[in-house]
Amino acid sequence: MKKSCLIVTLLLCLTILPGCVEKKVIDDVNIATGIGIDKSEKQFLGSIMIPVFKPDKSFGNFTFKAKGKVIRDLVSEMQKKASQPIVSGSLDIALFGEDVAREGLINTLDVFLRDPSVGARVQLAVVNGKAIDIFKGKYGDRGNAQYLTQLLEHNMEQQNLPLTNLHRFLAAFYQKGMDPYLPMLKKSSRNLVTISGLALFKDEKLVDILHENKMYYFKLLVDHHTLGVVKVKEAHGESTVKSIGLKKNIRLKGRNPYTFSIKIKLKGDLTEHQERILEKGEIREIENKLAQQISKECKMLIEEFQRKNIDPVGFGHFAKTRTRNFDYKKWNEEYKNAKFEVSADVKLIGHGVVE
Amino acid sequence: MIKKNFPNGANMANLFKSVKRLLKRKFTLDEQKDHQSGPEKREHRKDQAEDWEKELTKSKDYQKSYYFNQKSGKKFTLTYLSTLVEEKVMDNNAVPPLLEGEFHHIDDVKKLLPLADVELSSSFKDIPEKLLKGSVMLTLEGDKVFAFISSPKQIVRSVSAPEIEFSVVGPKEAFVEPIDQNINMIRKRLPLKELIIEQFIVGKLSLTKVCVLYIEGVTNKEIINTVKQRISDLDKDEIADSSYFTQMISDNGNSPFPQLLDTERPDRVSSSLVEGKVVILVDGSPHALIGPTSLTEFFNSFEDYFLNWILATFIRLIRLFSVIFSIMVTPLYVAVVTYHYQMIPKDLLITLVTSRRVVPFPPILEVLFLEVTIELLREAGARLPTKVGQTIGIVGGIVLGTASVEAGLTSNVLLILIALAALASFTTPVYQMSNTIRILRFPFLIMAELWGLVGITIAFCFLLTHLLRLTSLGLPFMEPIFPLRLRDFKDALFRLPFKSQAKRPQYLRTDDPIRFSKKKANKKKDIDE
Repeated sequence: MKKSCLIVTLLLCLTILPGCVEKKVIDDVNIATGIGIDKSEKQFLGSIMIPVFKPDKSFGNFTFKAKGKVIRDLVSEMQKKASQPIVSGSLDIALFGEDVAREGLINTLDVFLRDPSVGARVQLAVVNGKAIDIFKGKYGDRGNAQYLTQLLEHNMEQQNLPLTNLHRFLAAFYQKGMDPYLPMLKKSSRNLVTISGLALFKDEKLVDILHENKMYYFKLLVDHHTLGVVKVKEAHGESTVKSIGLKKNIRLKGRNPYTFSIKIKLKGDLTEHQERILEKGEIREIENKLAQQISKECKMLIEEFQRKNIDPVGFGHFAKTRTRNFDYKKWNEEYKNAKFEVSADVKLIGHGVVE
Repeated sequence: MIKKNFPNGANMANLFKSVKRLLKRKFTLDEQKDHQSGPEKREHRKDQAEDWEKELTKSKDYQKSYYFNQKSGKKFTLTYLSTLVEEKVMDNNAVPPLLEGEFHHIDDVKKLLPLADVELSSSFKDIPEKLLKGSVMLTLEGDKVFAFISSPKQIVRSVSAPEIEFSVVGPKEAFVEPIDQNINMIRKRLPLKELIIEQFIVGKLSLTKVCVLYIEGVTNKEIINTVKQRISDLDKDEIADSSYFTQMISDNGNSPFPQLLDTERPDRVSSSLVEGKVVILVDGSPHALIGPTSLTEFFNSFEDYFLNWILATFIRLIRLFSVIFSIMVTPLYVAVVTYHYQMIPKDLLITLVTSRRVVPFPPILEVLFLEVTIELLREAGARLPTKVGQTIGIVGGIVLGTASVEAGLTSNVLLILIALAALASFTTPVYQMSNTIRILRFPFLIMAELWGLVGITIAFCFLLTHLLRLTSLGLPFMEPIFPLRLRDFKDALFRLPFKSQAKRPQYLRTDDPIRFSKKKANKKKDIDE
């Protein structure tokens, strides 16, 4: 009796429950790899990029476009045009037009947040111009979305772009005393896209754009580890330094006004020097010069943030973790008057043979 | 062909019973009494004497020859089954002395014959049994007692190299069909008085000799008793091979997993005996059964012990990986392609999509089509003689594979995966287990089709529960993984050096857990020390 009950239950499970799962066979769906949101008058203009797999194993790109006031509505509008369902589980990158970003991203991101198939490591970026223009080009031979994500990822890993993705953006957004930032993309030619800077947000709205020259110093401030290249100029000429190790120490020194001390300890390689031969003591000189340069630039950056009342480094959050009965309301005022001491120590551990 | 010869040590009661049934005779107790009773019932006895001949005379190998002794002039007959008796011995050693010697009385046979095994008897019930064991019956005119001269024909196959458990290094002998020859091979490897060989007769009609081997003072008595009891409880008419035993005396007969290890290598058997295991030999089967076993043992080839422990461990881990790969790869393909497109790396996506696009079937049908094709090829290859089998491999592998991809029936990515899975399943050293692995992937496939990765997980849970519940002769099958016995890992998934194998496996609970002194093994005596 018991056994037959078990068998009946199993059979029921086997026959009835498979209907509960939705099948998405890979060649029967349109796999959305990139999504772009722009503003068109008062509506959103959405574009979804689908890679087209050609029989000779090369990629093509196809973009669905639709207008609408709600993002979900855009998607269903696009489904009407698609022969196979558009699925978003493999989304690589989401691009936002600058005008959309200035009005706030969180409504759009909420759609991603509520879709469990969208990963947390989706790359987000703001486009200098229209997102749809970027989708129009053809970049690389692995499809546009792959090209754009790889462009961002390798710059984050090895160059001056600070690490961002959907998860980091939302974490910074929901964290009080911290503001998110995103990379800024610009279409430079028909088949090239460049990183033109960093979009700095106040809560969900874009308020300032950091020039790409300053990204190195910004990355020093916000990231734990950094591999980036910086240019130094001293009496003997210009040289480039690739940082290979970073130790950063932020301390809260006083609370009235809030005083932060930021110590940056950098290890780097001298990758290039204008003159072929270094003179005696020149290494020390480059080190000192770079240290000065870093502390000066970082201080300027922070002061700029204070003026714009944005806090991408998260000083507010940092102060809160070290202060009893911390009050965010007061903090907004206190942030403007906060003092920052930035000191840097640079050590060049490699020169001569580099990389 | 090989004929079984029944030696004298057979269980008489059993034999008699069976023969009685075979001949459809009705020996009652009364009749048996008649054997011993006086001459007044001679009439009855004569009936019986003719009776035992009734069936045998129908057989073509039944021989009855009449002779005259030259000295006494007495007539005597020799009755035997020509297929069971060594006729050369009869002609050269038995008949001449009987013809020429002083043969007056039946008792003279013992003096006349140089053959050792001569037995006198007056009971009719012995006759068919003795004849069927390869004895020659000698009756002398006017004598009630008759003699049995045992000269069974020994048809022996020469010992050949192991075919299923072939090893490049190590001994190249495999078991053959006659049980005595097999025992001889084991005895030679273990000249031990403690090596006990207990015999049972199983099968009402086949009267198959079954031997249980163990080393007294090493093997746990409980295990021995379990085996002995299970064998003596068996009730079957015929035993054709030792694999019958795997099915009949294993703990769970409904499991696809074999719970007794079968091997054709005498070296493997003797080392299992030394470890404290029980070995079952069946007459007429070139495979010995070893028990109790654990799952990991089925993935150990005996060649592992002939290699350095680092190599052996590496090869064992490769086997383990290939088993998991072989079971899991096609279900994973089905699950991922049907449900979890998110999991596929972007660079792989194009390869998968372009190869899948031309295929008109859903992934599950595509996979089943290829899996069944592979199974067909295997089965066809196994049924055909070796030379034709190779052709099948070429036809199947090359022609069918490429043609089905070109025709757009299957995707070439899947073809590679299926071929790899088939290849991986061949690494299992024990044939019975590789069959199990063949079949295991089908439930996984179905579950993958129904619920994707969730389904695979459920199927895996079922498999794991089943394995955990399995026992081999009452001992856990999943040992040393569960129950976790870290010490037994020395010879399970890994094969550690011999110096760390100083103790017998814990789970066997041997009477003597120590194999050799570890200290002495570690000591390396050099000539200059």
